[in-house]
Amino acid sequence: MTDNSPDNSAAVSRHRNSGPGRLLIAVYGVFALAATARAAFQIGTKFGEAPLAYLLTALAAVVYVLATVALAMPGKRWYWISVGAVGLELVGVLTVGLFSLLDPEAFPSDTVWSLFGRGYGFVPLVLPILGLWWLFLNRPGTPTVQTTERISPAA
Amino acid sequence: MIVDGFFIAGVIVCLASAVICFGAAVIRQPPNDITILSVAAVELFLLVYGVAAIIRQAGGEAIAGEAWEFWGYLLTALCIPVAGFWWAILERSRWSNLVLGAVGITVFVMLFRMEQIWDRVPL
Repeated sequence: MTDNSPDNSAAVSRHRNSGPGRLLIAVYGVFALAATARAAFQIGTKFGEAPLAYLLTALAAVVYVLATVALAMPGKRWYWISVGAVGLELVGVLTVGLFSLLDPEAFPSDTVWSLFGRGYGFVPLVLPILGLWWLFLNRPGTPTVQTTERISPAA
Repeated sequence: MIVDGFFIAGVIVCLASAVICFGAAVIRQPPNDITILSVAAVELFLLVYGVAAIIRQAGGEAIAGEAWEFWGYLLTALCIPVAGFWWAILERSRWSNLVLGAVGITVFVMLFRMEQIWDRVPL
C-alpha cells in the first residue's frame, strides 16, 4: 500500500467517474439521499398540506438519484442520461427558484429547490452548473484521453 | 436552550475530520491512514452517540421531536462514513480525500438536524 507517487493515479486515463468526478458523484449521492428521505417524509406525513411542493421534492429526488447513477456509470448512453438528468436539475432549480421568489404563496412549503436551494446553502444551484461543465470537459469523442497518458502532465 | 454535550463533541469530531481530509487534498495526498482514521472517528462517534441515546431514552429522557425521525437520521448517518470510505478507496487520488471530507460535512449537518429534533428547535 506504500504508493508514494500520488500523481500516478491522476495521470491514468480520465473518465467522468474519476478524479473530480468522484467528488461530484459523492455530493450528488448525498443530495439523492437527502431529497429521497425528505420526499418520503413529506408525502408520508403531510401530503395534503402542499401536494405540489411535495411532488416537486419527489421529482427532485428522482432526478438526483438518476444523475448519481448516470454519472457513475461508464458508456456513451449513460453519459447522455447524465446530461439529461443534470440539465433537468438545472431547469428545475431555476424554475422552482424563480417561481418561489415571485409567487411565494404557490409554494407554501419548502422544496429542495425553493429560492434556488437556499435551505441547502445554494448547493442545488451550483451543483448542476459544475455538473454540466464537468460533463462538457469529459464529453465522448474527446481524443485527449490517450494523449494525456503519454505526456502525463502534473495535475 | 442548553446545547447538548454530545452535539458539541460530534461537531468537533466531524469538522476536525473534514479539515484533515480537505487539508490532505490540498497538499495532493491520496487517502492515507490519518484521513481514513479521522472518518473512522466520525463513525465511532455516531455509534457512541447512538448507544448513549438508547440509554438516555431508556432512562426516561424524552426526545422533544419525533423519535422515529431522530433514529432515521442516526441510522442514515451511520451509513455515510462507510459509503464515503468505500467510494474513496476505490480510487486513490487526492480527490478521494475530498470525498472523505464531504463525509464530515454531511454528518455535521445531520447532527445539527438530530439536535434540533432532540430539543425541538423550530426550523
